[in-house]
Amino acid sequence: MRGSASQLRRAISLGLITGAVMLYLVAVGIVLAFSARNTITGVVTLGRLMLAAPPLAAGYVVARRGTDLAPRLVAGLLLGAVSGVIVAAALLFASAVDIRHILVRISPPLLAFLAFDQDASIGALLNLALAAALGLIGAVAAVVPSRVRRPAITGVIGVVVISMLEPFLRPRLTDFKLEGVSRFLFTHKGLSIASAIVVFAIFAVGSVAWPRVRARYRARVAAADPGTQATIRGVTLLLLIVFLLALPQIAGSFLSQVLVFVGLYTLLALGLNIVVGYAGLLDLGYVAFYAVGSYLTALLTSPISSLGVGLPFWVALPIVILGAAVTGLFIGAPVLRLRGDYLAIVTLGFGEIARLLFLSDALKPWFGGTQGILGVPPLFGVAKVSVPILGWQLTGPTLTYYPLLFFCVIAAIVATRLKYSRIGRAWNAMREDEDVAQATGVNVTNYKLLAFALGASVGCLGGAVFATHLASVFPGTFNILVSITVLSIIILGGMGSIPGVVVGALALIGLPELLREFAEFKLLVYGGVLVLMMLLRPEGLLPDRVRQQELHEADEEEEPGADGGALTPAEQG
Amino acid sequence: METHAIDPQAMMGDEGGARLLLEAHKVTKQFEGLTANRDIDFDIPRNAIVAIIGPNGAGKTTFFNQLTGIYAPTSGSISFDGVDITGMQPHEVAELGTARTYQNIRLFQNMTAIANVQVGRHVRMRGQWFHAIFGTPSIRREEEEVLQRARELLELVGLRRRTENELAKNLSYGDQRRLEVARALASDPKLLLLDEPTAGMNPGETRQMTDFIGRLRRELRLTILLIEHDMKVVMGVSERITVLDYGEKIAEGEPAEIRANPRVIEAYLGKQATA
Repeated sequence: MRGSASQLRRAISLGLITGAVMLYLVAVGIVLAFSARNTITGVVTLGRLMLAAPPLAAGYVVARRGTDLAPRLVAGLLLGAVSGVIVAAALLFASAVDIRHILVRISPPLLAFLAFDQDASIGALLNLALAAALGLIGAVAAVVPSRVRRPAITGVIGVVVISMLEPFLRPRLTDFKLEGVSRFLFTHKGLSIASAIVVFAIFAVGSVAWPRVRARYRARVAAADPGTQATIRGVTLLLLIVFLLALPQIAGSFLSQVLVFVGLYTLLALGLNIVVGYAGLLDLGYVAFYAVGSYLTALLTSPISSLGVGLPFWVALPIVILGAAVTGLFIGAPVLRLRGDYLAIVTLGFGEIARLLFLSDALKPWFGGTQGILGVPPLFGVAKVSVPILGWQLTGPTLTYYPLLFFCVIAAIVATRLKYSRIGRAWNAMREDEDVAQATGVNVTNYKLLAFALGASVGCLGGAVFATHLASVFPGTFNILVSITVLSIIILGGMGSIPGVVVGALALIGLPELLREFAEFKLLVYGGVLVLMMLLRPEGLLPDRVRQQELHEADEEEEPGADGGALTPAEQG
Repeated sequence: METHAIDPQAMMGDEGGARLLLEAHKVTKQFEGLTANRDIDFDIPRNAIVAIIGPNGAGKTTFFNQLTGIYAPTSGSISFDGVDITGMQPHEVAELGTARTYQNIRLFQNMTAIANVQVGRHVRMRGQWFHAIFGTPSIRREEEEVLQRARELLELVGLRRRTENELAKNLSYGDQRRLEVARALASDPKLLLLDEPTAGMNPGETRQMTDFIGRLRRELRLTILLIEHDMKVVMGVSERITVLDYGEKIAEGEPAEIRANPRVIEAYLGKQATA
């Protein structure tokens, strides 16, 4: 019984924390901002779901421990109730006392939302009951076997995602003459009850069926002869290429704009990954290379820049890459002797110096100060490209997408090849132990400079494409937030992992672009995501195989006979 | 699997060269007034196993670090294989043909066992970043050779095949020691420097290690320098012993002479002999 007593104590303390988290979400205004988005019209909004998530998750966490069913469920219920009491008390307090001059977001509409448009006392009771119920549901989720839990969670995620995509899905469905589907799915900017059930069912069934289909498919591929396997690989690759090429046509203009941002940050992250992920040099001033790429491109290609040479993009590009690589060497050289935190601080400074140089009055004749450089011609020299047979008209983002995709693929190939070569191993060795790497024969100086130069070259590609996309460059674009965002992408995706970089960019760049309400809270969410990642999954979403092993070796079983280390120099020798 | 895959000829020193592989002349190292090494003359004949011993704090590791380029001597000179290496960077000294292990194992913890050995091969590889990016045939061939060689070395030191993809830090203590030796051997060194290779080992493991050191010299024609503070370890395996105390060389000679030397007994063995 002592076990269950401690579980209840834990439920209470976690409940207090959960309540505090909910109050925080309410007080910063994020909940109200998202309450305008219907998830299921007339039933629940995204804001409401956000507020429901903490007690659900905490209920699940608290009920994961223990063996007996009843105490686990009681713990979840108790946790939910405790968090509900906090929210209810706060609601009553805020209704009685005006605290808006301290917490400006606590507005009457917010209180009305929190009280379910009821009287404050009734609202408080509703909150208490709802939170308790959510805590219990979370606990139930922990108790049921995973073959029930997984489909349920996938179904809920499916409903939320599809409803979030409503503003983009609806016009696209109409474009593709699928108004029927669109009308069935969406009513009043959200899913209807019926469509929510269907979407939930599709995702739930999919989560069960998908692993089986995949396993069977893999088994069949593995059983096939090498020639067939090669063909399968080729066809898969071809399909992927076709899909990536057609993506802007499927996605439409707005989503293509989002894809362009995702592509840009993927490119930047691939470059920084070389510096941070491979070589272990924590560079917080990566934005400098992005800026150099943009400004050099603008200088060389814009006919009205101070140089005024107006070179074609593809002629200017090698010069831009070379310029960025040299900048990488310039930034790398003074910091060669610095390690860890010191390196981070100094590179942070360099990033700011780069921005201030481009902004400065002294260099205004060159870089145009705050006005930046205008008149950067489009990448292919023309603003519109027609693809003959398919009848595609490529303009703006749908056009920029292609060079970005091209550069991302190139950068990914370069990064992969470096990683599994003498160079990548030397970088890794340097990251692990600089002194030993040097004693083993790695020329640490050269390899650090090489990491900076190659990282810079990849990063400048992003800047180059982006200058042509916006037809101009401004110093304001190149602030410290870019460096931090790129670093966050790498951490979220998994240090040193290339698929991880893509996923990280989709999550941190793509999602906020899709949810405009996010803009205001973007940094808050980034911070929260990073903290959660470090706590729950420090290796990132799609980690490198080796790195996953590194952080989870404690989970693996000790192999019997892994031996106490008697030195037996190869008997066969 | 070929058992004699490591070709002794490939690792052999230049037999036609001078008799001495390493010569240190009047090496002095001062740290802000503290003299860690004073006027040490020291040499290593080719294909010999020699040892430097001395109580803790005698300046053994400081001397060792000057041989490998980690510290530059305050005065004096060091030459290796006919090249003056005084003041050279560690990676340059490594490239000339030295390799070392560490008293408290220093592997690349978060890299796999095989990758550790592959890094050890770094100085003998020629692939540059542009080769790697373009995936040239030369670098592919080189990578294959290195992988093959690394596997042979893991086998030579007695690491099982399935451990090659384990992270270095997940290996057992004994395996980590072996891996460190494999990493050092990967660069085809002429001189192998072992810093207290039996630290933390029980008598049985210690004997296996000393046997293994003897075998390395025989089969790979290596010249080996051992650093130890435990005199018993080096008595059996090395043919010449140099004793340091308070930063100075106080004795040098065959194990039997050293054992009988009164200064050594006084400085070092005295306490142990009476214990």
